[in-house]
Amino acid sequence: MSASVGPLDAFGVTVGFTGDQAVVGVRGEVDLLTAPELAAILTAVIDGGHSSVVLDLAETTFMGVAGLRIIEAATDRLGSSRGGLSLRSPSAQVRRLLDTTGMAEAVHVAHDGDVDAVEVEEGEGAEDVDDRLGPEQTASVPGTPVTVEPADPARQLRHVSAIPAENDVVDGALRLVVALAQATVEGADGVSVSLHRHGRLTTVASSDQTILDMDADQYATGEGPCLDAAVEGRWIHVESLDQETRWPAFTAKARQRGIGGAMLSTPLLAEDRPVGALNIYSHATEAFAAKDQDLASIFATEASAILRDAGVDVSDDQLASRLADALRTRQTIAQAQGVLMERGGISEQDAYTQLRSFSQRTSEPLGERAADIVGSTQRGCQVSPAQPEAAS
Amino acid sequence: MNRQLGDSLDQARRDAGLSHGELWLRYFELGGMSTALQVEAFLYGALRPTASDHDVLAHALNERFVELGGNHPVPYSEDADDADEARRIR
Repeated sequence: MSASVGPLDAFGVTVGFTGDQAVVGVRGEVDLLTAPELAAILTAVIDGGHSSVVLDLAETTFMGVAGLRIIEAATDRLGSSRGGLSLRSPSAQVRRLLDTTGMAEAVHVAHDGDVDAVEVEEGEGAEDVDDRLGPEQTASVPGTPVTVEPADPARQLRHVSAIPAENDVVDGALRLVVALAQATVEGADGVSVSLHRHGRLTTVASSDQTILDMDADQYATGEGPCLDAAVEGRWIHVESLDQETRWPAFTAKARQRGIGGAMLSTPLLAEDRPVGALNIYSHATEAFAAKDQDLASIFATEASAILRDAGVDVSDDQLASRLADALRTRQTIAQAQGVLMERGGISEQDAYTQLRSFSQRTSEPLGERAADIVGSTQRGCQVSPAQPEAAS
Repeated sequence: MNRQLGDSLDQARRDAGLSHGELWLRYFELGGMSTALQVEAFLYGALRPTASDHDVLAHALNERFVELGGNHPVPYSEDADDADEARRIR
């Protein structure tokens, strides 16, 4: 969605699956800016258990060393499994690059129309590649020229759509949404994501079995907050399932399970169309304040879109914690604003400007400054916003 | 004018080596309330951010420049009224 404008338009990755084989099509330029997206998608595909991956380069207009590193890393990961990584229809530029970096020695040459195309070998060749990737060494290694025919690409590839709903990248993103929503929305005891698949709603990620069952109850009875959000795109806030009368069949089942607390269902939107819902359950009634609802909706609609569009590697633990950090910092800044507003009798905006100006003057990150201010109230001492060095 | 402002923001994003997704995350981290799509529109000058939105975005970029060993090259809204002031690297 957000990739529809801008200079990076030329770059795009598609993923398709035929049996056990995953076909990753790469369009445009693979450079330092775009390589992380390709790496993330390949990682997610491999994490998803696909042992045979074809990298279709028919529409790759340029590949830099960053792209080679990705091929190398994927080869390493897939090396010991059955299928491995295959390159399909590399351009003359890519073949030259493979050649000059010595990676050509590690690839098989396939004839025109050969489905296997170019297969990167695992083994001693692949290890050698590691040392040859430095740019300063690229010219010094004589490689066997690659004589891949510019294969009339096995065009079965063209049927792959842009990141199909079933793929692992999306599932990984949704699991992350679930984990983060549970960690950051106060009062959240369980979280799930429902998605339309094959014409019906399915829970693709959930924090535990009870939540999975609660979702299933709604699918089975054909009613509930999750359905209203996922099907009609409505934002549903239930203060107490015990007291709720809108979905009698579902709430009866919920009571049987001993769940009678609050529930928040936020639609997931793609192209303004509801494609699923983020469901947050609490054991307590009236558990969700307005800010929790804001957080849930921002998170549900934005983070899942960002994760997909940016191709962020959601299987990466570091990234998951980075996202969690971002949310924590955001909350800390809001708290610090509150402290400054109370101390100085100033507006929310002025409080923010104070924080930002301080950060600007001292080059101390705004989030750290905010944490100092929040910390100072907990220790009971004062930190003036103008003070250049905050006590720590 | 919008166009120029947007262009320079997107140029700053590229100079900072941030993807649209990463910049949005940093903006969100600093309290930004606009969607990723809106932020992208700000960058391209298709939408004009409010002064406070602009400043959050500018600060997200500037913190990145500080990480890279630089200063705060992206002007804030209070600087932007005066083009000379805006160009002055603090």
